Amino acid sequence: MAKQLAFHFDSSACGDCKACQVACQDKNSLPPQMMWRRVFQYGGGNWSPENDIPGLFRASGVFSYSVSTACMHCQDPICLKVCPAEAISKRDDGVVLIDQSKCVGCRYCEWACPYGAPVFDETRGVMTKCTFCEDLLAQGQNPACVDACPVRALAFGELDKLRKQYGNVDAVEPLPSDEYTHPSIVITPNRHSQLSGTGTGTIQNLPEEV
Amino acid sequence: MSEKNFIKKALTDTVLTRRSFLKWSAALGGTAALAGGLKFGLKAAQAAAQAPDSGQWIPVACWHNCGGRCLNVALVKDGVVVRQKTDDTHPDSPDFHQQRGCARGRSQRHHVFGADRIKYPMKRKNWAPGGGNKELRGVDEWVRISWDEALNDIASELKRIKETYGNKSLFLPQFASSRLLSAYGGATASYGVTSDGSWLQVQSQMASNLYTPNDRLDYRKSKLVVLWASNPIWSSGGSPTYNYLQAKKAGAKFIFVDPFLNDSTQVLADEWIPVRPSTDTALLLGMAYHMIANNLHDQAFLDQYTLGFDAAHMPSGADPKENFKDYVLGTYDNTPKTPEWASEICGTPPDVIRSFAQEIATTKPMVFQSSSSVARISFGQQFCQAFLTVGWMTGNVGIPGGAVTHSYHSGASYGGAPLVTPGGNGLPAVINPLFPGGGAYGGYGFAAPEKPGSYAMAFEEMWDAVLNGEYTAMQGLKSEAKANGKIPCDLRLMYFIRASSGANALNQSAGIPKGIKAFRKVDFVVTSDIVLSTVSKYADIVLPATTPWEQDLGGFLTGNPEMILWYNQVTEPLYEARTGQWIETELAKRLGIDPNTIYPISMEQQAFNSLVGAKVIKEDGSGYEPLVTITTDDIKALGVNGKPQQGRISFQDLKTKGVYQVKRYPGDPYGFISGQAFRNDPVANPLKTASGKLEIHCQALSDKIAAYGLSTVPPVAQYRKPVEGYEDTFADWDKKIKGDYPFQLVTIHYGRRSHSVFDNIGQLRRAFPQELMMNALDAKALGIQSDDTVLVSSRWGKVVRHVYVSDRVVPGVVLLGEGAWAEMDESLGIDKAGATNTLNGTHPTGQGEEPWNSCNVQVVKWTGAPLEYDYKWPHRVPIHDSTDVRSDEWHLEPDIITPLKGA
Amino acid sequence: MNIREWALIAFTILTQMSVGSLLVLWLAHYYVNRKVGMKEADRLSDYALLSLVVMFGLAMVASLFHLGNPLNAPRAVTHLATSWLSREILGSVIFGFLVLVLGVMQWRKIGSFSLRNVIAWIAIIAGLALVFIESRVYMLPTEPSWNTLATPVTFYTTALLLGSLAMGVAFVANYAYLQKKDPQSSKVQAELVRDSLRGIAVASVVLLGIEFVAIPIYVAYLSVGNAASLTSATLMIGPFGVVFALRLILAFIGAGIFGLFLYQSARSVGEEKTLGYLAYSAFVLVLVAEILGRFLFYATQVRVGI
Ligand SMILES: Nc1nc2c(c(=O)[nH]1)N[C@H]1C(S)=C(S)[C@@H](COP(=O)(O)OP(=O)(O)OC[C@H]3O[C@@H](n4cnc5c(=O)[nH]c(N)nc54)[C@H](O)[C@@H]3O)O[C@H]1N2
Ligand SMILES: Nc1nc2c(c(=O)[nH]1)N[C@H]1C(S)=C(S)[C@@H](COP(=O)(O)OP(=O)(O)OC[C@H]3O[C@@H](n4cnc5c(=O)[nH]c(N)nc54)[C@H](O)[C@@H]3O)O[C@H]1N2
Ligand code: SF4
Ligand code: SF4
Ligand code: SF4
Ligand code: SF4
Ligand code: SF4
Ligand SMILES: [Mo]
Repeated sequence: MAKQLAFHFDSSACGDCKACQVACQDKNSLPPQMMWRRVFQYGGGNWSPENDIPGLFRASGVFSYSVSTACMHCQDPICLKVCPAEAISKRDDGVVLIDQSKCVGCRYCEWACPYGAPVFDETRGVMTKCTFCEDLLAQGQNPACVDACPVRALAFGELDKLRKQYGNVDAVEPLPSDEYTHPSIVITPNRHSQLSGTGTGTIQNLPEEV
Repeated sequence: MSEKNFIKKALTDTVLTRRSFLKWSAALGGTAALAGGLKFGLKAAQAAAQAPDSGQWIPVACWHNCGGRCLNVALVKDGVVVRQKTDDTHPDSPDFHQQRGCARGRSQRHHVFGADRIKYPMKRKNWAPGGGNKELRGVDEWVRISWDEALNDIASELKRIKETYGNKSLFLPQFASSRLLSAYGGATASYGVTSDGSWLQVQSQMASNLYTPNDRLDYRKSKLVVLWASNPIWSSGGSPTYNYLQAKKAGAKFIFVDPFLNDSTQVLADEWIPVRPSTDTALLLGMAYHMIANNLHDQAFLDQYTLGFDAAHMPSGADPKENFKDYVLGTYDNTPKTPEWASEICGTPPDVIRSFAQEIATTKPMVFQSSSSVARISFGQQFCQAFLTVGWMTGNVGIPGGAVTHSYHSGASYGGAPLVTPGGNGLPAVINPLFPGGGAYGGYGFAAPEKPGSYAMAFEEMWDAVLNGEYTAMQGLKSEAKANGKIPCDLRLMYFIRASSGANALNQSAGIPKGIKAFRKVDFVVTSDIVLSTVSKYADIVLPATTPWEQDLGGFLTGNPEMILWYNQVTEPLYEARTGQWIETELAKRLGIDPNTIYPISMEQQAFNSLVGAKVIKEDGSGYEPLVTITTDDIKALGVNGKPQQGRISFQDLKTKGVYQVKRYPGDPYGFISGQAFRNDPVANPLKTASGKLEIHCQALSDKIAAYGLSTVPPVAQYRKPVEGYEDTFADWDKKIKGDYPFQLVTIHYGRRSHSVFDNIGQLRRAFPQELMMNALDAKALGIQSDDTVLVSSRWGKVVRHVYVSDRVVPGVVLLGEGAWAEMDESLGIDKAGATNTLNGTHPTGQGEEPWNSCNVQVVKWTGAPLEYDYKWPHRVPIHDSTDVRSDEWHLEPDIITPLKGA
Repeated sequence: MNIREWALIAFTILTQMSVGSLLVLWLAHYYVNRKVGMKEADRLSDYALLSLVVMFGLAMVASLFHLGNPLNAPRAVTHLATSWLSREILGSVIFGFLVLVLGVMQWRKIGSFSLRNVIAWIAIIAGLALVFIESRVYMLPTEPSWNTLATPVTFYTTALLLGSLAMGVAFVANYAYLQKKDPQSSKVQAELVRDSLRGIAVASVVLLGIEFVAIPIYVAYLSVGNAASLTSATLMIGPFGVVFALRLILAFIGAGIFGLFLYQSARSVGEEKTLGYLAYSAFVLVLVAEILGRFLFYATQVRVGI
């Protein structure tokens, strides 16, 4: 593959404000039920009673950080492999797209994708997901989510170049291991970030929030 | 979730939808089926995707009281806004950053074009002059009426009440003000402080103007930045967090002091000092003790620049025993304020208090900065006094990279005078004869309690005043008071016709259940609104107001000091919406008042005046010059009176860009060090305090607070147990036995909303679920898991909410975002939306500030049906009308909120 | 759980039952044919074969309910290269076609028996392959509770268990029908039914044994896996524990206890009526158990990731 577009996400800057998530819904006119970009918060820590002073607790290692996620436009997209209708394709620039006019709405890609990226459109009965704002890209503009971030935690570019610049991290909690799909994501970890599979915390969002 | 519910959920829900680990991990709860009957318009989505840039990008207003001010731009196609974006008018850099907006701003089009917009004048079905069936306020049916009928009814009620009971029976509650009522003989008003908590009088009496931060770029010189009670990512929208991040990248260490490891900490905090709410004064005193005991404080600074620290440096006339140092050491009260003493109250371990004190005393330069939330407590002055005192003990005043400052809201991370300002609108002031010093904000921060003739009560006293017919007299009104010190009143009409946003007093002031009773007592309530917010829901007549998206000429908005925003019209007024000016003008005609006395010039002329008068700092920083170039063609096109002028940017450019921002770079001539002149030469540049110095002992403060008549404060920082603070969670403090309300509630400014504004937006409800945040140990003890529905009760009211269990909250503390649209289940007396003011009690105190963050609550698991997430609730549409949905992408069933199923 | 997921339960159970039924049916036919000749063999199995065609037809209809956009259904076989779902759909179409052809030929006695026999065995092999493909559909690397040997094992046991008991019911019903039409001629059939039911009873007890070995191993395996699979196991024995237990109990009563009774009754002449009730009850109990099992299969699925 000549080129692979990818997102860069700087978890050390992300404040969980969800501007990116809502900007995506706005750009794509998605109802509240549908989110192509979701921001997860991960955190943990402990409190233990301090026995000499009544009512006193000591915090140890309490932390949180966030991960803004959308479709990872994976190098090895499992969604594409499993789709029975050839509705999912990967372009030369690595962008993975779903063609709704071909989709049968079996939701198989949704079962398979470990990033929860495919989002079913109940009204049309077809699958949708992040398009990398390919229409904006075609006009030389940035994806809506990237331009929305008030702390400039989101960027995009060619995977190779981003890797050179920001390193190889592509799996921090609560993301899955990269083994399933080889996601095109470059993460600058937060100082609290825990690599996938080594997490000591939990997702800090309510189930229906994400 | 009980077994039965679980199975039921499993059988009815979409089992295969995103059944990821996450979905189960919270509470092994099921996923819920997507709400049926989505009205989501594919047409709009597809059209937008196919031709994203056909249509016109127009800079628009985001006009709310949100702690930010950003550039929002709307893509308008065929009169409908199909998309939004934010600032991309110039390349982005940390020095000269774009004015990027937040999730709320991005949702503005759903607000303006929502299916729940108020479209026509409406009245309550069972309203009649004098009130009709008053008990039905808030639950009555709405009936559409004509503008004529509405205006006639309002005018005749104003007239009837004025003539029968006098002007004092007309009432302007929190944030309400009216040029019309002022011209009509005035109205009883209210005064107080919402945002700043107890800061205003403390900072002006103790420090005069010396409490602002240094210039934004100067933060990068800091070695240590203490952000006390600050959560900029939520409550200072726009760029403050990004600005702080630059200081961090430049090497500053950040310490947060907060009961909540809030979202900003994950970007900034190197260290978190957990503290119980409303006990920070104790923490500060414990720190002071450590500094004094180890001689870590800057004695030379204190001696030269302050008064009241120790017996040797007291203001003339003050009792030397009242000095701060001896209070801390316990010289006279036999209670040394040791870290151990403090720890029992504030919950911060003694060693942490010591090391924190050590660090702030020994790291220079340091920014010691507090927001206001921590001062929104009972006896909040004591925190502000202690904070300034301890800050000054480190000597970080008037130096680069330092500051002892109260800063928050859109001021966070910015200091110094605005570099660009709008001109005045040219409207003459119209004074309320019953509250002459009240100002445009209707008594916000009212500073002259000694002045006679101020018929106004503290915000916290409003509902009691309506219900009991009396309120506390300020000093200036003492002569008119009854023996109990109260002014009698007979409040019969509440007036919420607004020039623009603000004044959702029933929702935003403490004691909603009491407030509802007050609303149901008066003869008449009138509002102008864009949605059925709480004041409007409980009103008799509601008038449809225009938003700034519908205003002819547009106008300026200001926020941080480096830029100014210009917004434009995107659509004609929707339905029958009218401006506040139009409404008051029409009422004036009906009341026999010459409209020219209140609105002598058109709104276009007002906007034009502010264009003409707009100023920008000169390139060399030596002064200001006109901002906008205006041509004769512009004037002709606008149809206004004025002369052409030369400025920095053409009006046309300003309109299309929507922003003018002064370019900043390190070393530019616009820097600012707060108090530098005073620091360099305190004699030549005295402060405007009584002594000209920073007053650690401040009699003027004590006197001032006493003049409001609500509570008192000693002249020097001392810890007194707050009402509904930590101590009041105990039935027996000595034995540490908890009482009926064992938790402390923090009412945080929440990401979903700007106060109550935007609470109706589905995508924001989804993103920010209005959850009650609670510590994991507490939850465990109560048998509560994340996502459970819980019942939260205070001495004043009850709400139900989903709970979010986390270690990020101090044990014994719960947090809930303020501003949700109260949704009272009348039969159960429970607010299912979780408006914090349903829980907050009314405690008049200080200069009328509202002690929202000292509040005790109890939390139990809700045994009724689980609460449905509110992003699935139907919208609050007052009148159903099939023909009037303008935008096809509204997505929730327009309907009334479904009732809560009781336990 | 909404219609889409119930459609999946219906589809997988019905297809698997059809495959199992065909195998059982054709084995019975083969055996009867050898014992008493083609005529009686056909009399035993023709209606049962018809019911099988209907059964599979229902499966195909159910599958359409699973699709959000059924208009595009024909597209679903276009990605045979990598998509097991495409293969499943193609497999179903082939199997369905073969069963239909076999049904029509058998009904109308078109072609020689050996031709029909060949078609039947091709259909059986296609069916067994279909069950394998169906299990592969679920064996996704991101779905640890599905991605185990247990998926094909349970799918095959479902096929054989339900197939056997369904054919038991079909034979009993067929016998009742024949007896009504002509009480005399059904003597031979009665014996044939008894013989077949004995075989079926033995098969169901054995299959139950396999299930009862496989299930605990499966749960134990999940509980030592990653977070997602552990959650699946927790769900199965925790919140869904009641369903899980019910499923095991029903299967035990249906296939085990009733199976033994069935075997017992089928040994003595003249108990056709009891035999009928037993066969019906065993089938219904096991069907419910398998539906619950399949429900659990979907409901306790936990994908890795977010
Ligand atoms: N418990 C608790 N309560 C609090 C706080 C807290 O921390 N805890 N915080 C307090 C603070 S700091 C503040 S500043 C106050 C804010 O209190 P308010 O100013 O009363 O609250 P808002 O929600 O901003 O009110 C905005 C109102 O204006 C209406 N509106 C919006 N746009 C327009 C318009 O264009 N035209 C017209 N006519 N109406 C419009 C909205 O529908 C809404 O009714 O809340 C306070 N309340
Ligand atoms: N998104 C959003 N932003 C807003 C607003 C809004 O409604 N929504 N409103 C705007 C307005 S008008 C205002 S006045 C400002 C208010 O802004 P702030 O005064 O900064 O208020 P909060 O966001 O309520 O609180 C900030 C932090 O203080 C902590 N805190 C609360 N009580 C205490 C305490 O007793 N001690 C300590 N140490 N910490 C405490 C909270 O946990 C929180 O992390 O926000 C502005 N910004
Ligand atoms: S994230 Fe999921 S949907 Fe996106 S390419 Fe990867 S596998 Fe496909
Ligand atoms: S839902 Fe659509 S895109 Fe996804 S696998 Fe099925 S056919 Fe392919
Ligand atoms: S690239 Fe576009 S479609 Fe994808 S998440 Fe960002 S805004 Fe949404
Ligand atoms: S907009 Fe930026 S800071 Fe906000 S949640 Fe998204 S990535 Fe994080
Ligand atoms: S911070 Fe305030 S002004 Fe800026 S976009 Fe958000 S709501 Fe609008
Ligand atoms: Mo405020």
